[in-house]
Amino acid sequence: LRTTRRQLLAGSLAAAGIGAVRPTFAADPIRIGVPTPLSGAYADLGNQAKRAIEFAIDEVNGAGGLLGGRMLEVRFLDTEAKPELARQQGEKLALGGYNLLMAAVNSSEGLAIAGMVDRWNALYISTNHKADDLTGKACNARVFRVNKPDAADMTLIRPWLATRSETKWSVLCVDIVAGHSAAANFKAAITGAGKTVVSENFASLGTSDYAPYIEQISSAGAQGTLVVLAGRDGINFVTQAGKFGLLDKVIIAGTSFITDNVVKVLGDKAKGLWGAINYSATIDVPTNKTFVENWQKKHSGERPSNYEGDAYVGMQLLVQGLQKAGSSKPLDVAKALSGQTIKTIVGEQTVRKADNQLIGPNFFGEVRLVDGTYRPVVTMSLPGDKAFPPPNGSCKMNS
Amino acid sequence: LLIQVLNGLVYGSLLYILSVGLVLVFGLRRVVNFAHGGLFMLGAYVAYSCSLIGGFWLGLIAGTLALCALGAVIDRLVFRPLQNQDATVTLLVTFGILLVIEDFVRTIWGKDFLALSEPASLAGVIPLGGSQFPVYRLAIIAAAIAVAVGLSLWLNRSRYGLYVRASSVDPVTTEMQGVDTERLGAMVVAIGSGLAGLAGVIAAPLVTLSPTMGSYIQIDCFVVVVTGGLSSFAGAFIAAMLIGQIHNLGVVFVPEAASMIPLLLMALVLAFRPGGLAGKPTA
Repeated sequence: LRTTRRQLLAGSLAAAGIGAVRPTFAADPIRIGVPTPLSGAYADLGNQAKRAIEFAIDEVNGAGGLLGGRMLEVRFLDTEAKPELARQQGEKLALGGYNLLMAAVNSSEGLAIAGMVDRWNALYISTNHKADDLTGKACNARVFRVNKPDAADMTLIRPWLATRSETKWSVLCVDIVAGHSAAANFKAAITGAGKTVVSENFASLGTSDYAPYIEQISSAGAQGTLVVLAGRDGINFVTQAGKFGLLDKVIIAGTSFITDNVVKVLGDKAKGLWGAINYSATIDVPTNKTFVENWQKKHSGERPSNYEGDAYVGMQLLVQGLQKAGSSKPLDVAKALSGQTIKTIVGEQTVRKADNQLIGPNFFGEVRLVDGTYRPVVTMSLPGDKAFPPPNGSCKMNS
Repeated sequence: LLIQVLNGLVYGSLLYILSVGLVLVFGLRRVVNFAHGGLFMLGAYVAYSCSLIGGFWLGLIAGTLALCALGAVIDRLVFRPLQNQDATVTLLVTFGILLVIEDFVRTIWGKDFLALSEPASLAGVIPLGGSQFPVYRLAIIAAAIAVAVGLSLWLNRSRYGLYVRASSVDPVTTEMQGVDTERLGAMVVAIGSGLAGLAGVIAAPLVTLSPTMGSYIQIDCFVVVVTGGLSSFAGAFIAAMLIGQIHNLGVVFVPEAASMIPLLLMALVLAFRPGGLAGKPTA
């Protein structure tokens, strides 16, 4: 009711030819909605996104806000990593005015939200979703992705696979869209490198006991395994695989796998695991160093994790989109961002016009002991122009 | 395949220890305890903290005893006052307890993942049919057998066991014969919760500790209890072992449907033997 009255007032003022309408709106906050898992198997990932978004918002608001002093305001709603709930929570946020949406975790959640942004008159920024479809057949002019899709991680894994002597590989992925998308890409990469796939398995999200899968990998005689198991799933798998002696026999690599928080819990058990590293606090560019220092000041010395880095880049994209658009209307921001070059903590990156994918460098590495702690260490990197396959042909921007 | 069967036994054992606690509580208090998965998780966390002081074994004892005590408290403050309420009320209240436990754990231990290692004495592997099998997993099977034997001796040979059996058949008559059913109820709920805690501690070295670790296994646990017959101890044992096997062999032979088969089994049992495998066919 309050807004209606204000709009009426503004309308009548404008009708009366009095110019000073804008300042009435200036104090209105810019509302960001975050439907993300705060409980369930991906709670840890959702909470990392939350920390990074809150951190970025504090920075912006501390510097006086955006668009002439408007503060950023954020609302988080728990999706439990369930697509149906993500759609409901996204709707609740968008229709409640928090229509600049971002940072769900599970790819199925992202796809559920992306399918609705036109109807909700919203914008959505992916900081986490791996499924290629989000910038492929489900692409949308209002949907952006700042993190690396599966196809980019696979571009990274191919040259690594070529350096490995192991010929028999198995694939173990989480039984969700992102897992199936990764498994298909893995298989193509493995067979493309002249190696064979000896077993392929999908484990439900939140599996407690990986023993049957471990035995499958072992009895199939695999020498290498590619896994897509994030968060708690990855920890459970590696812990149990270690107990069965699998880690000594089989080389393990993955995407969404050797992430900072997972490696922190696993400690020495993570030694020698390989994987894509989409963001690392150790990336040696001045902007990243400043970000890491500021982050550590606020988080008692802790370094930002890869998911926190990606979510922060998502906020950088949104903030610069708002500034370029000079408006907080989702469609204006989306139009302003298309094809734009954005300043991010890991250097300048461009929003690819064809599919709204942010194009930046990608990294691959191994968990090694550095200064007394086990950490993902970058051993190979690809610059933005080499890290991505060309835009997916099935992407047709609708608006 | 031998390894897969053993793996099934391990998972079944874990399910058994957890579900038999649920069966105990249901048998005497007629409460479907939705907080059971929360008690499982809390047991693991208590053990984690105590293991930092005195190692895994102290954690095991502390986790089990702490949960016994909590069970007695829950019985006194929740189950007993709600005894004459509609079953749905108690069900909702136990669901509330689950949420409280999860938030309590988040507040005390935080949202980050924690890991509890198995004791050094059980850390190794033994060679088995050309592969290796972790000793700790064999110990889980042994623990389940110990719980099953212990419970059945207690229920069938001891005076209190007799009271428990009598009371779960006809509480009123049992009370008239001079048995303090309230005290008995508290004792049984304490034991049931203690078993949930024990299962949590035993599971902790296999899985990551997180506030929601109970919610996944709880679903399988309910499947076990329903399949086995709600108040049958033998039924819980058979169903747990069956579901453990189905769960694991399903992954091997029909990977596409593996997660669905236990639920399918439950649906079949409900359709043809609504009282559960070991329950009365007419129930």
